[in-house]
Amino acid sequence: MTTEADSITLGSYSHDLLLHDNDEVLVDGTIAFVQEGLASGGQVLVHSTEERVALLRGALGSHARLTYGLDRDLYQSPSTTLFAYQRIFEERTDATDVWVTGTVPHGEDQESHAAWARYESLVNEALGDYAFHALCTYDTQTLAPDVIAASRATHPHVGVGAHREVSHAYEEPADFLTDELAAVPTAPASEPTVTADVYSPHDLHIARRLLRRNTEPSDVSPDIADDLVTAAHEILVNGLEHGVPPVRLELWVGRSKLTCRVTDGGTGIRDRLAGFRHPNRGGSMGLWAARQLCENIFVSNLTRGGCSVLLSTA
Amino acid sequence: MESLERVPPTWDGHLLLVHRSEQERRAGVAAWVTRGLEVGAKIVYAEPPGQSPDRSLMAVLNERRVDTGASVTRGQLQVLPPEHLYSPAQQVHLIEQALAEGYPSVRFSAEAHTAYTVVSPAAHADLEWAMERLCRVRPVSALCQYPADLTLETLQVVSAMHVDGIWQTHLRTAARPDGIVLAGEADVSNQQILRSAVMAATTLARRSFVVDLSLLDFLDVGGCRALLLGTADYRRDGGRVLLQAPQRRVDRLLRLLAVDREQGVNVDGNDDDD
Repeated sequence: MTTEADSITLGSYSHDLLLHDNDEVLVDGTIAFVQEGLASGGQVLVHSTEERVALLRGALGSHARLTYGLDRDLYQSPSTTLFAYQRIFEERTDATDVWVTGTVPHGEDQESHAAWARYESLVNEALGDYAFHALCTYDTQTLAPDVIAASRATHPHVGVGAHREVSHAYEEPADFLTDELAAVPTAPASEPTVTADVYSPHDLHIARRLLRRNTEPSDVSPDIADDLVTAAHEILVNGLEHGVPPVRLELWVGRSKLTCRVTDGGTGIRDRLAGFRHPNRGGSMGLWAARQLCENIFVSNLTRGGCSVLLSTA
Repeated sequence: MESLERVPPTWDGHLLLVHRSEQERRAGVAAWVTRGLEVGAKIVYAEPPGQSPDRSLMAVLNERRVDTGASVTRGQLQVLPPEHLYSPAQQVHLIEQALAEGYPSVRFSAEAHTAYTVVSPAAHADLEWAMERLCRVRPVSALCQYPADLTLETLQVVSAMHVDGIWQTHLRTAARPDGIVLAGEADVSNQQILRSAVMAATTLARRSFVVDLSLLDFLDVGGCRALLLGTADYRRDGGRVLLQAPQRRVDRLLRLLAVDREQGVNVDGNDDDD
């Protein structure tokens, strides 16, 4: 139900949720969103599976500023997708708004569900500075309950047009990351494969070599392992610059997964979401680069002081 | 580091050795002397008379198992007090003498602070510029040893005097006709050296400047920043920088940070930079 107090007008950014239990609701909601986007002079993208794109194309027809895309082309890993969108928006010279509607690929297991839920939440942080409107469509008939619950917690608004209202289940991204639905990865309970203390920038080459040598036995692709090393390097640099040395480096080498933790002895970090916004808009370039090089990076403050950053491959 | 263990970009010319520790200095000096002995050059090393035995050139070479016996005996490797080296007339005399004795080339080396025992820093700077010119017109090379704790301003001046190359433990630079070669690993620990080296090299460049990255094994955010800052003045004046042949991990970061989209920068064959 939309109350007068809840009635929201669109700003330059919006990230809305459309829950549907049949194609009619999906088509009607998509049409309303697309028409609003086209009427505003914006560029509109409708994406989904082949079957649903065909359905929506039939209902919406064609327009010079309306394009259709397939999920499999647009959505790779959550982190890659998030920063790909950000790059597009950051590098756009066109002043018009971008309107995107569709469903993210939630994956088959709970780990994937959580990863895409975190993506949906972090969209608000990473893309919130841009002239961007999204309507994410969730099929309540086919999607798992945890996916639907997370969708309510990650979208500030629910509904389209006159039916648009504040999502009372919405959680700010920093809060959502502490929600069970986000299922933020944790370090393995086992002892690390390797541990090292880094005291100065002149130790960094040793840390990189240590990481490279120890990640080799894993089945993780060499490029992904290599990117993890660069990401860990940047986190170590941050630890040396903003924390208090020594900065501890721990690495767990699994057959198909690499996990790394960097812990410093400083005062901690004020913004746990640092590095999601584009550095042109302020913030750490090193952490921003690291977040693009490694699928999962989570920052937390330690109760004893200091900052802990967990990096892991997907 | 793999690339440093392959063929270094250059061994000759007016080179700057930036050392953070005595161990780094010794490794650089030993490698440079070894190369000189291999090519049959006359090697003149300046050392103060009171030099502690363990810091002396001979101690360094013995420690590194460089066979110096025969070369010292026949005068190919010579250690002289600094006053014999830090005078333009003496330098020319030593060169002429060595060439007359049949040596194909002459190599000089000393620590910067050795020079300060006989000349003022200002006079030493003049001698450095003179050596820079000498290395252009005569078969002469020099390895000048400086500690790493230089200010950025001093580092930039010293780098400008040594455009043939800079040696640092993990990073080496070398001049090429149209730019500079980088080898090793460039990160936050040596970003000021990288920035200074690139800036010095661009002062000699015309409309385009190539940074050969094929031997650079690692580059971090600080290194990317150094490349941009080091070439900023040159690009502002209309110069174009080509970041050539980056390895995968270097290329990945350059593109992530959109270095290829900076004004006046191309990465490899990418033309749509600005």
